[in-house]
Amino acid sequence: MSDGLVQILEGNTFVVSDDRGDIEASLTDPTGLFSFDTRFLSHWVLTVNGQRLNVLSTDDLQYFQTRFFLVPGSGTVYVDSKLSVIRQREVADGFREELRVLNHESEPVDLQIRIEAASDFADLFEVKDALSKTGHYQARVVGGHLVLEYRRETYVRETWISSTSPAGIDEKGLSFSITVPSHGEWTTSLDVVASSGSAEGSENGPTRIRDQRRVRRDMERGLEKWMQRAPAVECDWKPLEPIYRRCLTDLAALRFSTLTMPNQSLPAAGLPWFMTIFGRDSIFTSLQALPFVPELASTTLQVLAERQGTRIDDFRDEDPGRILHEMRYGELTAFEERPHSPYYGNADATPLYVVLLDEYERWTGDSKLVRKLEQAARAALSWIDEYADLQGNGYVSYQRRNDKTGLENQCWKDSWDSISYRNGDLPGFPRATCELQGYAYDAKMRGARLARQVWGDPAFADRLEKEAADLKRRFNRDFWVEDGEYFAVALESDGRQVDSLTSNNGHLLWSGIVDKSKARAVARHLLGPRLFSGWGVRTMAEGEARYNPIGYHVGTVWPFDNSFIAWGLRRYGFKEEAAGVVAGIMQAAEVFKGRLPEAFGGYPRSLTRYPVQYPTACSPQAWSTGAPLLLLRAGLGLEPHGDNLVVDPALPTWMGNLEILDLPGRWKRIDAFGRGRVDTDRMTMR
Amino acid sequence: MQGRAGSTSAAADPVSQFLADLAEPGHLATLEGNSATVRFDVLDGKSVEPWHVSMASGDVTVTHDNHPADAVVRIERPYFEAIVTGRLNAQAAFLRGLFSCEGSMLALITFQRCLPGPPGSTGRTAPITSETVTAQRGRHE
Repeated sequence: MSDGLVQILEGNTFVVSDDRGDIEASLTDPTGLFSFDTRFLSHWVLTVNGQRLNVLSTDDLQYFQTRFFLVPGSGTVYVDSKLSVIRQREVADGFREELRVLNHESEPVDLQIRIEAASDFADLFEVKDALSKTGHYQARVVGGHLVLEYRRETYVRETWISSTSPAGIDEKGLSFSITVPSHGEWTTSLDVVASSGSAEGSENGPTRIRDQRRVRRDMERGLEKWMQRAPAVECDWKPLEPIYRRCLTDLAALRFSTLTMPNQSLPAAGLPWFMTIFGRDSIFTSLQALPFVPELASTTLQVLAERQGTRIDDFRDEDPGRILHEMRYGELTAFEERPHSPYYGNADATPLYVVLLDEYERWTGDSKLVRKLEQAARAALSWIDEYADLQGNGYVSYQRRNDKTGLENQCWKDSWDSISYRNGDLPGFPRATCELQGYAYDAKMRGARLARQVWGDPAFADRLEKEAADLKRRFNRDFWVEDGEYFAVALESDGRQVDSLTSNNGHLLWSGIVDKSKARAVARHLLGPRLFSGWGVRTMAEGEARYNPIGYHVGTVWPFDNSFIAWGLRRYGFKEEAAGVVAGIMQAAEVFKGRLPEAFGGYPRSLTRYPVQYPTACSPQAWSTGAPLLLLRAGLGLEPHGDNLVVDPALPTWMGNLEILDLPGRWKRIDAFGRGRVDTDRMTMR
Repeated sequence: MQGRAGSTSAAADPVSQFLADLAEPGHLATLEGNSATVRFDVLDGKSVEPWHVSMASGDVTVTHDNHPADAVVRIERPYFEAIVTGRLNAQAAFLRGLFSCEGSMLALITFQRCLPGPPGSTGRTAPITSETVTAQRGRHE
């Protein structure tokens, strides 16, 4: 977020204001009260006797609660106010703001307090793309409420505003004529509720989208319990504990409940603009957090199954069995001007769904859920063969069928220039990127394990393993770039290799699709000078035509990417190399005070000394938040083996002793210990 | 079972047709793992026509009964016809306020899994060559 902006949230309801607590949004300015992808307040300005207030300080009490300490005045340097104003704001299904005015004089004081309120009811997509609206606005006063309304045909959204103290209410706000006694205070509580309204017009009160009492109860108890339940981390390297605590707190803030499973939560993708279900992000984050908070994976798997594709829908890029990409609730989605109801345009979430289901069972032993989701997993596995093989060549590829509002690149590197040849040329469509083949291979192998061990279908297991072996054999032949000794980032429809060197090679190690004989060369590249910056593995190697150390997917370092690369290196036994990745990203996490950004610059570490943050709209980002958790797993070499947890540490020497206490899983609770013995400096100090 | 769907003349009515087809195989694998009931109160002028759909681990039965259900949907007939023929997306219609749903959202979403896609969707699109993409997006300098 930009400087000076304050954000608080609960689920997909959030408030972004200036540091006085005021909101003065324009169509393109991302401040306001948002809920279900709609802005419910775009103007919310407090004045005392017609004067704006100045901020003394702002306290973020919790991620859902903020307090603003203010004084009246015109912004002079010297403040010696006779009055203080405190706004304490808490997000629920809207927000509640407690307003307190303190008189420090020995005389009573008469004041005019005014709150101006208005809303443009912009869809989040409109805020991002600066679109204008076609519906009609109305403001009315209904029995002690100011009701702001937007109406387009039967689509109605309302904001209901009320006060606990008597207020003069007009269509533009609330006024209070008050007398505050000497050394006394006046207080009121302002309630702002986002309402889905009704076509007939509601006079009885707001139609709350969610049960507010439940939301409040969750927020009060939730965070503390969440922190207590998680395993404890102790380490000689002192920065690790605050990094870990930051991750847990941010994961708590990123929790998101759907209307179908209101009492459970899954990780949303990013705060605040991506507080919604994203198939890929929710799955990756659930995988990262699995050793620490396995319940996120359980909810993710169930919610994604509820919305799994069942039909052919070109507008939504939906196929039977496909796992959704992104779900939205705003006006543009409602009027089918955007396909997010939900949109299915990704090619990785479906195989990754099976990967998560299997990994979840390996950790938790929750075979009940695996049985419940058998049909969903089978449908996902069918999708790989029946709907994702767009070229009929046995490889998963993607091409959008919605060429107006669909996504061009349906892999995690989803910017337009992320997949290119060495010379910078772009491949055509359909595109078969390499990591998709790895995920498909892993999905088949893991699906086979579940079929044999949980579903009691050994014939299906045999078939999947045979298909996986065949895929692996073809892949190692067709994608291997002989003269560079790495895997091409993609295969063109005519079989040509899209031959740039990218971090995708690390995901291939994670998937297990890489022939053992080729793994050493791949690991050498990942930690080599073209890909490894000293902080982490770059998305694209230095030397490629489109390489740019601050290009979104063409040279920056992504902490999430690196966490899976570290896991991949461990899978093939490259313990020291994995420790090198753990070292670089953990040291970056220290610089970023525990909150890793989505991406940072790919400059050589020796050049900038500090990782240079890539400007992004969302912070924290879920899979960056999850990265240190997966790196802890990779560093300690945690791997479930039957009902036991194997610990095989390979940690940087400077980390000293590391202990994780009470790791949950099949084994109930277990402790894991490791001591840093790998000299990672020779890898990271470049 | 009274008022079994499909027993009435369904030929020209897309709602009767769709629900009869839904109940016909008796079992749908896509619904396994979930059990839910949804009642559609289909508004047609002044009359209300109830359709009760029961989905029990993939076993589907449809009746004309006015029985309680996990989710009760009130919807004008033209909108329901558009939804069951794939011309209107149910989720979008819900967000637009074209119908109301009381009770379990999960039940409604479970039912939505049975709905057809848009009539024109083919699942296919023409390939695009590397030359075309590179020309559109600009060759790298």
